[in-house]
Amino acid sequence: MRGCDGTLWPSLPCSRFLLSSSALLALSSCGGRQSALSPAGEDAAAIGTLFWVTLAIAVVLFIAMNALFVFAIRTRTFTLDPETARWILVLGGIVLPTVVVGGLLVWGLSLLPDQRQPGDGLRVRVVAEQWWWRVEYFPEGAEEPIVSANEIRFPAGQRTELVLGSDDVIHSLWIPALGGKMDMFPGRETFISLRPTEPGIYRGQCAEFCGASHAWMAFEAVVMEPDAFDAWLAAEAEDAAEPVEGAAARGRDLFLAEGCGACHAIRGTDAIGQVGPDLTHVGSRESLGAGRLGVTLDDFATWIAHTDDLKPEVEMPAYDHLTDAELADLAAYLGGLE
Amino acid sequence: MRRVILILAACATLGLVGGGAIVGLGLYNVSAQAGHWPGVGWVLHTTFRNSVRLRAPDMSKAPDLSDPDLVALGAGHYASACAPCHAEPGGERTATMRAMEPAPPRIEEAVAHWQPNHLHWIVENGAKMTGMPPWPAEDRGDEVWAVVAYLEAVRVGTAPALPDPGVGGYCATCHGPVGGEVPRLDIQTPGYLERAMRDYATGARPSGIMAHAVSLLEDDEMVDVARYLSGEVRDTPPPPAGDARPGGEDLARRGTRDVPACVACHGPGPRLDGRDRDRFPSLAGQHEAFLATQLTLWRDGVRTGSALMTAAARDLTDEQIDMLASWYSRQPPEEVEDD
Repeated sequence: MRGCDGTLWPSLPCSRFLLSSSALLALSSCGGRQSALSPAGEDAAAIGTLFWVTLAIAVVLFIAMNALFVFAIRTRTFTLDPETARWILVLGGIVLPTVVVGGLLVWGLSLLPDQRQPGDGLRVRVVAEQWWWRVEYFPEGAEEPIVSANEIRFPAGQRTELVLGSDDVIHSLWIPALGGKMDMFPGRETFISLRPTEPGIYRGQCAEFCGASHAWMAFEAVVMEPDAFDAWLAAEAEDAAEPVEGAAARGRDLFLAEGCGACHAIRGTDAIGQVGPDLTHVGSRESLGAGRLGVTLDDFATWIAHTDDLKPEVEMPAYDHLTDAELADLAAYLGGLE
Repeated sequence: MRRVILILAACATLGLVGGGAIVGLGLYNVSAQAGHWPGVGWVLHTTFRNSVRLRAPDMSKAPDLSDPDLVALGAGHYASACAPCHAEPGGERTATMRAMEPAPPRIEEAVAHWQPNHLHWIVENGAKMTGMPPWPAEDRGDEVWAVVAYLEAVRVGTAPALPDPGVGGYCATCHGPVGGEVPRLDIQTPGYLERAMRDYATGARPSGIMAHAVSLLEDDEMVDVARYLSGEVRDTPPPPAGDARPGGEDLARRGTRDVPACVACHGPGPRLDGRDRDRFPSLAGQHEAFLATQLTLWRDGVRTGSALMTAAARDLTDEQIDMLASWYSRQPPEEVEDD
C-alpha cells in the first residue's frame, strides 16, 4: 500500500480509511505507479485535492443524512409546524445542494485551463495507433522532431505540451499519476500540458476502448531531473549504435535480411519503415510492445516470436519461423540499441 | 380423407421401393452408347443454356480482351488444358472425344453462340454431367479472362496459332515471350521458382493456369525446370514505355505509416544484399500487369501463404498498387547469382 502515505490527506489513517471506504479502492487504486491518488505532478495533485475534498464532503453529507433519518424515525418526539418544515426543505433540499455542487463545479471547471497552459518549451507530439504510441519530441525552436515510441519522458518541474492525434480510431491518453486524460481523434489535434514534479517512472494507459488489444496499449511516463532529461534527449537524437561483431552484428544482418526495416526505422541504418515503432534506441526503453513486456533479451525474443499471442490482432506478424539462436541474435542487437 | 391419405402413402412406398431397386440393383442402363431418350437431350441443353445466361458475370469486370499478351496466355493454356477435348481451331477432335456423351464441341462451334461473359462463366464453373470441368482454382476468375480472350479471338477469327512447345518446353511458351499477366522468371532464383511450383501444386498459391501447368511435371522435374527458367534472359518484352507514375518510387522505398517499404524485402538496391531471394521474389523489371494483379490478390486475401505479405498488402489502395506496379516494372532487373 505504498503511496497512501504520500497522498494529500496525510492526517487520515490509511488503513482505517481503506476499511471504511470500498474494498475495490483498496485493491486497485490506492498507490502504485498508475494511480491518480499518488500524484507526481502539479496537475494530478490539483485533481487529487478536488477528489479528496469532494469525497470528504460526500462522506460528511452521507453521515449527516443517515443521522437525520435515525433522528426523524426513532428519536423525534415532537411535531414541526408546516412553516419550519418548509424552510428545512428549501434550505436543506435546494439551497445546500446547489451551493455544494455549484461550488465543486466551479472549482473543478477552474482546474481545466490549468492543464491547457502553454508549456516551458518542450512540445511532444503523440499519435496513437492500434495499439501503440508514436512519440515525437520538439525541443524549443526545433522544426524536425526527435522520433521515439511507446514512452514519454518529461523534465521534472517544467510544463511540457502534449499535442495529441490518432491514425486510426479514437484513443485517449491518460497518465493518472501526472494528470489528464485527453482523447485522441483521427483527423483532429487535441492538446494538454503537464507539469510533473517527482522524478520517477509512471504508467500511462489508453483510456478509450480502441480494439482487441486496448488493454495492452500502455506506456511508460518517465520523469527525469532537467539535466538528466537534456542529456537523454541529446542521446535520443543520435543515430543508432553500430554493433561491431558477434551476436549483435549477426542480429543486425538478420534484422535487415528479414525485412524488418520495411516497417521499423533504425536511424543510421537502411531501415526506414514507418509502419511500426521507431527502434533507434529501443534498448533504452522501459518496456516492449507498448507496455506489454519488459526489456530483457528474453523479452525481445519472446515478443518477436509471439506478437499475436501477446497482443491479439496486432499488426506485426509473429516471426515464429526464426530459430532460438536467430532470435537471441536479434535480441542482442535490439537490446543493445541504447 | 383417410382413404386418400392411405392411397398416397401406398404410392409413396411403391415409388421408394421402385427407386431403390433401380439404384440398388443397377436396373438403369448407364451406357453412353444407348444415348438419351428422345427429348432428354433438349431438356438438358436448354437448362444448361439458360443457367449460363442467368449467372454470367457483368462485362464491366472484364479486362481488354484484345490485349495480345492476354490472348497469348489464353492460347498457351488452351493448347494444353482445353485442346485435348475441343481440338485446335481448324482441327478435328479425336474419335474418342467425338464419342463422348455429350461430345465436346469443336472450339469454333463451342464459342459461336456465346458472349464473352457467358464463356467466362462456363470456363470458370464447368457444367455438371458433361465432362466440362470447373477452373482448377477458387477465386481466380481474373485468370479465366485470358482463356476468354483467346476464345473471343477464335470467334472473330483473329486467334494466333497455338504455341509450339519446341526446345524450351511448355513453360517457355509463355514465360519469356509473353508479357502482361505472365511473370518473367529469369529474375528469380531457382529456389524461389521451385517453392512457387510446389505452392501451385498444393493449391497454397491459387492459380488455375499454373495448377494445370505444374500438374504436367513430375516432382523431381521441378528442380530442373526451376534451374532452367532462372537466370538466363530469353526473349522478353521490353519494359513499358514512358515514365513511371509519380509516387511509386517513394512508396516502394519509404512506405507510409500504413504500407511497409517494399524494397526492404524485394529490392532493388545494394543495401540489402543479405536478403533471402529464395523467400522474397525480386520485383525490379517484373511485368506491370502481373505485379498489379498479384498485389490485388494479396490485398484481397485471395493469395495467402505469407503472413508478412498479407500484413504488408492489407492497406494498399488501388492507386498505390498501380503506382508500385508502374515503378517496379520500369526498373532494371537485378542479377541472379549462381549458388
